[in-house]
Amino acid sequence: MPTSAAITSDAPRRTLDPPRPATFHWLLAAVPALFLVLFFALPNALLLTVSFLKSESQYLTDELTLENYHFIFSRPLYLGAIARTFAIGIAVGVLDVLLAYPLAYFLVRSTSRWKGLLIALSLAPLIASVVVRTYGWYVILNRFGVANDLLLWLGLIENRIAFMPSSGAITIGLAHALLPYAVLTVMGGLDAIHPNLERAAMSLGASRARTFFAVTLPLSLPGVIGGFLLCFSIAISAYATPAILGGPATQVLATAIYGFMTQLLDWSIGAALAVVLVVSSLALLYLAARFGARQVSL
Amino acid sequence: MRQDERVSGAWIALRIVVAVVYLFMFGPILITAAVSFNASNRSLFPPQGFSLRWWGRALSPDWLDPLLFSLELGAAASVLATLLALPLAFALVRHEFRGRNALIALTLGPLLLPALVTGVGILQLFQYVGLRDYIGLPALVAGHVVICLPFAVRTTAISLQGMPPNLENAAASLGAPPWRTQLHVILPLVKNGIVAGAVFAFIHSFTDVNLSLFLVRPGEIPINVKILGFLEFGFAPTLAAVSVITILIPLLVVVAVQRMTGLGDFLYAERGHG
Repeated sequence: MPTSAAITSDAPRRTLDPPRPATFHWLLAAVPALFLVLFFALPNALLLTVSFLKSESQYLTDELTLENYHFIFSRPLYLGAIARTFAIGIAVGVLDVLLAYPLAYFLVRSTSRWKGLLIALSLAPLIASVVVRTYGWYVILNRFGVANDLLLWLGLIENRIAFMPSSGAITIGLAHALLPYAVLTVMGGLDAIHPNLERAAMSLGASRARTFFAVTLPLSLPGVIGGFLLCFSIAISAYATPAILGGPATQVLATAIYGFMTQLLDWSIGAALAVVLVVSSLALLYLAARFGARQVSL
Repeated sequence: MRQDERVSGAWIALRIVVAVVYLFMFGPILITAAVSFNASNRSLFPPQGFSLRWWGRALSPDWLDPLLFSLELGAAASVLATLLALPLAFALVRHEFRGRNALIALTLGPLLLPALVTGVGILQLFQYVGLRDYIGLPALVAGHVVICLPFAVRTTAISLQGMPPNLENAAASLGAPPWRTQLHVILPLVKNGIVAGAVFAFIHSFTDVNLSLFLVRPGEIPINVKILGFLEFGFAPTLAAVSVITILIPLLVVVAVQRMTGLGDFLYAERGHG
């Protein structure tokens, strides 16, 4: 099966071409590489630099400083936002693998002729933007929304409940938005288990339940951990869902960065927050890759 | 034995759980679609009659303009990303050379770093070097090409890898000059990868919010950023109709292309961040 080892494997595909000097390939890649340097590497490098610059009344100075980081890590407001970001990210990751596992198990084991369609269906939500998918939760959870209407109509509540803004609403919205990534990664983990292992366990007398808990589940754990870390890492950089389902009391890193960049116009603090986000997200993705996380091409 | 599994009670229970998970997945979007046809301007439950007035408003210039803007942006980003991806994939897949790992890191970087941060970075860069006037469409195109490029490179790389390595030599030994080999032998074989990359790039651009957020200006706002801005004013059923439209467009693209080439091969074959 072709994988993105296509790009990342150490040994490129053997060809019968005569070896060419490095300059040839750099010439081939010169335009795209230059483009990425200009509009990807340079902006991120600038951001990293700015996070170490002192800013005075909305203007950047040349003075190097660690004050921006000190500011973030000494204010309860921003420490709280960082802690909330991570708490939501962990909750989203756990919820997603719990929801993804039965679905992935079903999709891998099913022999239904609808299997292909069902797999496509489980990835289909990715063609809708996170804004649109979160809007669905806004329709359900707002004070005059579907959930309240339903509960009132059923007579289960007498007064409308404020489901949002809250961290819980953000968690549900993000878990919903990122579920396809978890399904794909857990499916990868389950796919890697050789069916003979389960047959062997059962032929040795293990019950179906025992086979699942003693063989299948432990062997699929890398996929589960990879899915958890992948969802965790995407969740901490999400802006739209916390902006829609949260409020001033539920700031997360992304909304704080947006505030500093577009409203408070304090670039250095915003840049320092962005660096915190990048470092955390890269660390999680590194771990996720080690557990074989899959990210769909959408 | 596996046949047994599928008729057992446990398998039936699993199917019920799976149905619930699918309901969780599609419930919100189905409810959104229902709200867009609701006669009332807020409550859905119990439903209060059928109306098309929200659809009428969704199809007004207020919403069609950002929609068209997103389509243009997506098309531009998709075409440019595909064009840049082709030589990049070629250099990366088929040969070993000094600096290859650096080039890989640069190519996959936009997939690993949060798009939000790249958006902030581009905003600062443009302001810093005095290109403030180019925030809007030019900055958005640049940013979208950056975040779409890894997808286009991956799919192209996958189809390049699946190609028998000695085809070029075969063509050459039959007397084809190198440019003809590339045009008539290699390009048709990697066509599916290129098309899949272009589709994924378009959808990624069309649904992006995190990067676009920072690079908009009045009149040059992608549809999803516009929806996000409107949500601050609270609930409006018009948004439900607009949301449904924004889902139908990528859906049509995927279905149309799927009929011509196999997108699925490029979806399941992906392994992330490897």
